[in-house]
Amino acid sequence: MAKPISELVDELPADNITVKALHALDFVMPGEWENLVGFEATIKKVARTSDQERIQKIGERAIHLYNDSSQGYQRAMWLYQTVDSTDKALATAALANKVGHSIGFLSFLSKITPKADRAQAIDLSLKLVVEVVAFCSINGLPGDSIGDFVKSLGKYSKESLMRMNALICFDGILPLGPDFVRMVIEILEGLTPDELEKNETYDRIKESVPGGNTQEQLNFIQQSFSSVSDWINGFVKEHDLSADKIVGSLKNFIEISDDKLDYLAAFIDMTTNYYEHTGTQTLAHRLVRRAMSEI
Amino acid sequence: MSFSGSQRLFGALLLVLLLFVSACGSQPTRWDEAEKTQGPATSAESVEGGSLNTFFPKDAAESEGFDFTFTQEKDGFAEASLEQDGTEVALLSISDTTNNPEAAEKFAESTREIGGYPAIDVDFETAVLVGDRFQVKAFSVEDSFTEADRDTWIEKFDLAGLEGLTE
Repeated sequence: MAKPISELVDELPADNITVKALHALDFVMPGEWENLVGFEATIKKVARTSDQERIQKIGERAIHLYNDSSQGYQRAMWLYQTVDSTDKALATAALANKVGHSIGFLSFLSKITPKADRAQAIDLSLKLVVEVVAFCSINGLPGDSIGDFVKSLGKYSKESLMRMNALICFDGILPLGPDFVRMVIEILEGLTPDELEKNETYDRIKESVPGGNTQEQLNFIQQSFSSVSDWINGFVKEHDLSADKIVGSLKNFIEISDDKLDYLAAFIDMTTNYYEHTGTQTLAHRLVRRAMSEI
Repeated sequence: MSFSGSQRLFGALLLVLLLFVSACGSQPTRWDEAEKTQGPATSAESVEGGSLNTFFPKDAAESEGFDFTFTQEKDGFAEASLEQDGTEVALLSISDTTNNPEAAEKFAESTREIGGYPAIDVDFETAVLVGDRFQVKAFSVEDSFTEADRDTWIEKFDLAGLEGLTE
């Protein structure tokens, strides 16, 4: 088996580039996301308890549920981990090469290759597919109707909402511009199964994308993105999001040149693992909630 | 007491080895024993999570102005969230204790009843055991959802209907 859940949650960093980048998006949803790290701390917070015996029982039940692969949690964790394409060497070098109080991103320009728009559009839509599949692996299909299910999917808050916020800002607005939703829909509509098969992210997670063949999987990716496009547009509008605002906030810790947004997006993509980070927090939260109900 | 050269060398090597081992191996944690737990976490006898949905007080919640959302549905387990003015105030759940029989044992120490079923209070949570099998819980996410609210909402579940599942 891969790493134990208690270790994965214990090893979540309290501060690194990923955490700094996510905190840079606090301005969109002030106070919504707390970087909760540590398995015991998560149990204490979610179950509102300091009773050591109870913490132990909840933890033991959560671990048992996670370790049983048929319960779906390991699959969700794998998906969150796999969809991020972090270049750990670059992340480490970037942190080591801090200029004053900020990270000297400009000195890494030669090491960064921005993704082509088509590749970026595919990666963005695949992260959304991962979100839907991981959600079902963790929570099942709650309720008695499609309406109930969609409602539960729409109740995103805390670390889950921060993950969507980061997806929109770092994988949407920064690399593709403010009109990214329409752009992604158009790119996905023109995409062929052959082209999808050449995408690295797809190649890593294709076993988990619903559909019997590449064409059916492409249809699922298109439908998934279309179905959340209104929600994304609403989020962008509600928070009046723009590249200027995002860059302005990132400037607090990264040395940025305003005309290199695609490079900045690629730098964030390569040096952060926000899907894995917040995904681990989401999974731990839901797992602990189930465990405390079952003990 | 004096040490020979070889003893000193041995001692120094041992120290290095100890430092090396403690640096490489992860520190022991309170979860190490639990992490050895393998095998099914649910029982083949447990009911499907979806069969529990019907016993939740969904209609009562909506008629009283709460936003009710089913949030988890797994083997022998269903959970719903109660929101008031956009804030989650409580969690409601039903779990089949055939998945974790130890959970039913604590009701032997129950000193009160809700709706005729043995009840237990711990921290911000109230639980009853229905038909010696199904655990129904209300948990306060916010303090505004009081202990009295937990009792009231547990009574709003269709507890008698749920007991029917055990027959």
